[in-house]
Amino acid sequence: MSAPKLAAAALALSLGTVGAYAGLIAALSFPLPPAWYLGALGFAAALALAAVWRARRWLTVSAFAVSALLLVAAGLFNFVAMRVPESRPLVAVGQPVPDFTLTDAAGRPVSLSDYRGKKPVVLVFYRGYW
Amino acid sequence: MAELQGLGAITHELEAAGAEILAISPDPNERSQQLADGLRVKYRFLADTDLTVTRRLGLVHQGGGANGEDVPRPATIVIDRQGVVRWALFAHNVQVRPDAREVLRAVRGL
Repeated sequence: MSAPKLAAAALALSLGTVGAYAGLIAALSFPLPPAWYLGALGFAAALALAAVWRARRWLTVSAFAVSALLLVAAGLFNFVAMRVPESRPLVAVGQPVPDFTLTDAAGRPVSLSDYRGKKPVVLVFYRGYW
Repeated sequence: MAELQGLGAITHELEAAGAEILAISPDPNERSQQLADGLRVKYRFLADTDLTVTRRLGLVHQGGGANGEDVPRPATIVIDRQGVVRWALFAHNVQVRPDAREVLRAVRGL
């Protein structure tokens, strides 16, 4: 593949990956798995580097700059911004969960013990509406 | 809310397996319920406005909110009829969702 084509492919892959992440979040509130977008951005940066290797022109160099920048930004996003620090969960497999009571959307109190002996429960802790 | 999407696809299977899904967040319930109704997922939303329960279970991400407020650490916990934990996932990354098939397998095994 010629250097300009490699550079164009790298740019398309980089920007397409960022677009896919944003689009998936907007449409389904579901993030693209980090391994996928980091892999795609890494591959794009490698393509751009190959393009620079073949011909050092403004197109190849800027394609490399853009794809490398996006790769670094995505790495920071995933490994720093999205990281959840270790907490010490007081919940462990094989142990009972301490009972609690909270109110549901209709304002009714709901206790974990309401389900004791009746139903399995899937508890989902999430950060909220965003 | 995004975190609930992973299980969204299997809500019906979880219900068919006899399980109740309790979704806990510091958000006011009305917003969450509106959103769930919009997504047609059957969660029972419980508000832990001041994170009392979240904190008691050791599931607080300190200063993890958009404005530096404390938020829950994303977690999914499968509890059997005796109130004992049978499966749990405590996220290390906000983007990570529980594997819906694993959750379903854990519930069906009860």
